[in-house]
Amino acid sequence: MRLFPLRFRCAPWLVAAWFALLAACSNSPYPDSGGAKEGLRREDGQPWRVRYGVASEDPRSLDPQVSYDSVSRRILEPVQDCLLEYHPFKTDPYELRPCLLAAMPEKGERPGGGTIYRCELKRGVHFHDDPCFKDGRGREVRAADVQYSFQRIADPKVECPVFSVLQDYVEGMGEAYERAKKTGAFDYEQAIAGLKVTGPYTFEIHLKQAYPQMVYWLAMHFTAPVAREAVEYYDGKVHAGKARDFFRFHPVGTGPFRIAEWKRNALIRLVRNPQYGATRFPEGGWGADQEELLRPLAGGALPIVDEVRLTTVKESIPVFMLFRQGYLDGMGLDKDSFSSLMTPARELSGKYRERGVNLRRYTEPSTFYMSLNMEDPVLGPNRKLRQALSAAFDAQTYLDVFLNSVPVVAQQLLPPGIAGHQREFRNPYGFDLAKARALLAEAGYPNGKDASGKTLELNFDIAASSAREREMAEFEQRQFEQLGIKVRVTENTFARLMEKLDQGSFQIASGSGWMADYPDPENFFFLKYSKNTPPVGKNESRYKNPEYDRIFEQMAAMEPCPEREKMAHQLTAMLAEDVPQILIFHRSAYALSQPWAPFVQENPMLEGGMKYALVDPELRERLRERWNVKPVWPVFVLLGALVAGGVLGFRSYRKV
Amino acid sequence: MAFLEHLWIQNTLVAGVYALLAFGLWRVSGDAQWVSAWQRLKRDRTGMLSLGVVVLYVLVGTLEMVRLPAERGTRSVLDAMSASIPEEKGYSAPLAKTTLSVAKPEPLKGRHVLGTDSMGRDTLLRTMKATRTALLIGGLTSLIYIPLGVLLGIVAGYYRRWVDEVVQYLYSTIAAVPEILMLVAILLVLGKGLGTMAVALGLTGWVGLARLIRGETLRQVERPYIAAARAMGQTDGKILLRHLLPNVMHLVVIKFVLGFSGLVLAEAMLSYLGVGSPVGTPSWGAMIDASRSELSREPVVWWNLSAAIFALFFLVLSLNLLGDALRRAFDPRRG
Amino acid sequence: MFSYLIRRLCLSVPIVFGVMLLTFVLFFVVQSPQAMARKVLGPKATPQAVENWLQNRGYDKPLLVNTVPGRPFYDSLFFNQMRRLASFDLGRSDVTGRPLKEVFAKGVLPSLLITVPAFVVGLVSALGLALYLVFVRHSSVDLAAALVCVGLMSLPSMAYVIFGQYVVAQQLNYLPAFGFSLEGGSAVRFLVLPVALMVVSGLGAEVRLYRALFLEEMGQDYIRTARAKGLSNAAVLMVHVLKNGMINLITLVVASLPFLMMGSLVVENFFGIPGLGSVLFSAIQAPDFAVVQASVFLGSILYLIGLMLTDLCYAWVDPRIRLQ
Repeated sequence: MRLFPLRFRCAPWLVAAWFALLAACSNSPYPDSGGAKEGLRREDGQPWRVRYGVASEDPRSLDPQVSYDSVSRRILEPVQDCLLEYHPFKTDPYELRPCLLAAMPEKGERPGGGTIYRCELKRGVHFHDDPCFKDGRGREVRAADVQYSFQRIADPKVECPVFSVLQDYVEGMGEAYERAKKTGAFDYEQAIAGLKVTGPYTFEIHLKQAYPQMVYWLAMHFTAPVAREAVEYYDGKVHAGKARDFFRFHPVGTGPFRIAEWKRNALIRLVRNPQYGATRFPEGGWGADQEELLRPLAGGALPIVDEVRLTTVKESIPVFMLFRQGYLDGMGLDKDSFSSLMTPARELSGKYRERGVNLRRYTEPSTFYMSLNMEDPVLGPNRKLRQALSAAFDAQTYLDVFLNSVPVVAQQLLPPGIAGHQREFRNPYGFDLAKARALLAEAGYPNGKDASGKTLELNFDIAASSAREREMAEFEQRQFEQLGIKVRVTENTFARLMEKLDQGSFQIASGSGWMADYPDPENFFFLKYSKNTPPVGKNESRYKNPEYDRIFEQMAAMEPCPEREKMAHQLTAMLAEDVPQILIFHRSAYALSQPWAPFVQENPMLEGGMKYALVDPELRERLRERWNVKPVWPVFVLLGALVAGGVLGFRSYRKV
Repeated sequence: MAFLEHLWIQNTLVAGVYALLAFGLWRVSGDAQWVSAWQRLKRDRTGMLSLGVVVLYVLVGTLEMVRLPAERGTRSVLDAMSASIPEEKGYSAPLAKTTLSVAKPEPLKGRHVLGTDSMGRDTLLRTMKATRTALLIGGLTSLIYIPLGVLLGIVAGYYRRWVDEVVQYLYSTIAAVPEILMLVAILLVLGKGLGTMAVALGLTGWVGLARLIRGETLRQVERPYIAAARAMGQTDGKILLRHLLPNVMHLVVIKFVLGFSGLVLAEAMLSYLGVGSPVGTPSWGAMIDASRSELSREPVVWWNLSAAIFALFFLVLSLNLLGDALRRAFDPRRG
Repeated sequence: MFSYLIRRLCLSVPIVFGVMLLTFVLFFVVQSPQAMARKVLGPKATPQAVENWLQNRGYDKPLLVNTVPGRPFYDSLFFNQMRRLASFDLGRSDVTGRPLKEVFAKGVLPSLLITVPAFVVGLVSALGLALYLVFVRHSSVDLAAALVCVGLMSLPSMAYVIFGQYVVAQQLNYLPAFGFSLEGGSAVRFLVLPVALMVVSGLGAEVRLYRALFLEEMGQDYIRTARAKGLSNAAVLMVHVLKNGMINLITLVVASLPFLMMGSLVVENFFGIPGLGSVLFSAIQAPDFAVVQASVFLGSILYLIGLMLTDLCYAWVDPRIRLQ
């Protein structure tokens, strides 16, 4: 029986040890406290400013010519400056401003048709310091680096996802691709004919036909200058006993931040590039409500924070949890967290409003719709039938039921913010059941039956991998069947639906949508351009209208002007009348930010705009502590349970 | 697998399974080993209690499986019985009078014993409907792996030599791949769904059973009654079917019951990984997965998680206990 | 001994071949490479991009035998895949293009950091509890414990993690519910909760198994002899039962050792631990077929290693067994 006294003697020590442990414990997901304790300080003596964010997966590729998904772009954007950039505040309409270029490109006529863009790079812009350069010092950016980027776009081995678009316009690009295909290797000694380097800092882009949208491509990282040294240095092989990374995981850019650390699948740390000076904070353009916050920053140096830490969190629930505990500075609001944060009146729920959390809503330049097959013998020739189907579909209820009513019902193909979008425009065949019935009768199917009394049957193809998608399809089916017709739903695998859309073997197909590559009406109207019929393009409806094509071609080649917008209105009207698709919605989203990290920019074309981000580390530290109090009572409960369990176990042991 | 959705095909399938069960019971009712096992089981209190619980689950699941014609497509008997339970606008706590909303609570159309979920559906009803998914996965998978495992196991044990070699090679290969990886690989390629999940689970599940049956058959073959049957000139087929099969059947039943619990858990796991039952199918795994966001709400929504976990827990627990009881009943020496 | 190992290795070859064949059928026959490319590249990909993608990875080759004149017959998808795996070249990720050898190598350490402690703590506590239950066998404590064990077994592992995270990390704020680091002392802070939850979720099944194992040993003749010699209950248990039970235990435990490298799908993903479990989880979501295929192959190799280790340990602890 010596055991018991011993245990009691230990008890105070145990309690003390527990308290010590508890003090050392914290639920912080970070191994340190954001620079404060490591003694990291800014040059001006102020505390080190870290922004905490998340990435939903490891970036797939940070190669500027390859990267296409939003996570990779989110990391590439702060690292790799582009030739032009989107203005952070001007979103209606969107506006571009020079970034690596000294001024907006100068446009000229190309002899024999087409356009020439004359561009000049800013002087004194350097690549980040990196071992791939001589002495490890970043070299100055030259026009030859842009040439190299264009060559990489055309290199089949690089697998640039936008090559197929650019090859139609940039002179010599398609030919370079074909040559490389034939010889098996791209010849980097041979320049792309469409990109003429005219001086150390000047170059010209030659387009085979007019393509005013080219400037938007200059605001994307595909055309951003890349150092050939870096690509050749980071080949993923072992050199002198040291393994080098691949270029696509070790970008050497010119941007405001550089990748200081990348723990695969866990963390990416971006640290301020002290030499950065290519861009400065805009002088204006923000809304009146932000005047007080942003005026002091106008014309100031960028970036504002010293470090951006992106933790890889693959699921939305931990993101929300970390945000609640104050360990994340901002988050996007998805379906899961939406219902827990928002009141039915679309406001932040009480607790978060009290905390001072900021809420923003923005609509992405995107449109989602169901495609109707214009080559189908039933749907194609019968415009009234298509109109009836469109009028039978209640998009608002659909959004209420499935998407928390967050997105906006689409009245036209063009989403808001794109030049030519008409705020007042109402889809003439928007939801109106009585009208739909009347139209169906005019179409030759009164009450859904044809002249011989047979019920009209239509096929509806969906890509259902989940029953939720099936529920959505069932909802859509029910909407159409209100007309008295019969709609047969066919479930396809994703690949199978793609195939059907390519081949045109469908009547109605769900799940079509388009997210703008760039905010120009051309990027949407080309979805119904006859020369874009699959498998070449995305005109899945197979809409063919010579008049539409004519206006589209003319509009596509024009610079933005009121005349052009009028043409966009004409196209919108044509589509509205012809109904090659049933419009559903423009995607919208909500974002939250903590009281210490107010929203600065809200341009959905930017992936975060980290160089404009703000943070108040001291306020964050105070609030975090207040939000994460550690109660003491469980210590006693646990100790009590341990003692009780020990006693009970010992007793029954003695009985044996 | 869309044809499986058809009203009468589904009902016929359910009836078929019940007929199979009845036929099996009738066949073993004359067998001394089974009768004495039943006698022992009847005296086993935990065994009988868990049997009762399992039967209850099967009944609930059957109510959801039998389809009736309805205005639009079909609905289950359970749907028909619960037609009077209204759907609300969103979450509501158990027995609450209003929806769960701090800002704008709305009066409910009815009372819900276990509250409602995000879409305003009655949690108790949803939990009961999910029984069907669990039973379907367990049942369909068993229909695939039991015949496969029994056939291969018995054949390997009886013929030995090259047949045995081939069967052993087959199951060593399948067993060499960790089960979860195998399941994920199959489901990624075939796409998710209840049918494909049953196929995947069935293809990986037969190994253990075949091994067990092979071992038992090897032992049985040494027994004099097999030699006697051979001496009387009975064909191999007859010996396999008439003599060996009945003598390994009790192992199959025990394995079936214990394996069923594993399958129910596997469904939950695969649903969580995103390759399991399609989202929206009432399933305990999906309910558990959804509950993670519910736990971070203010106020906390705990009833969906609790309902799913308790429903899952009691079924698996009863199956485990019943399996143990059956083992004791068939093999009293080792109990 | 050495010759036994060689023989065992030779016997493993057909199994490895079988696994390779299985994965080939699954990933390239059941599903066409085109469908795979579509899934990986997404809806905006043009046919040209799909074709280029397939060509760059050699997936455009004929399935079984190359009949193109001038090309060797073995320049086909089947032979190339087999050759690649046979030389332990795991290939590259479909999504990031990173060599999978590197991806897996990076994930092993974080995985081991949670699985090894969980394994050791779990084993020791389960053995202790099982021994104790054998001590007090057939008492009310034993019966209650049996029920609790089955109860613990009947919960999916997600339930433990959800509950543990909710209470410890969200309500009590003691430990992080997310995060991982190898730097300094903070590593422990991140590991405590996942390890504890893994231990608890596996405890029921293990205690039950070991208890049954020891009880079986108790029924043996030599125990009766020892009892007859007048040895106390405790001495019998500690000396004879534990020692002999160990032999059976080792066969059970050793086979699972190599799998510790694979990590845990659920725990790693919930806690954001960048191990192999989380690699696989991402591959499932992406989908990244190359990763899943390589995991299947690696898993089967680990399984065979486990089998071999078991045999060796068996011979080591039980001198009656000779490996020939």
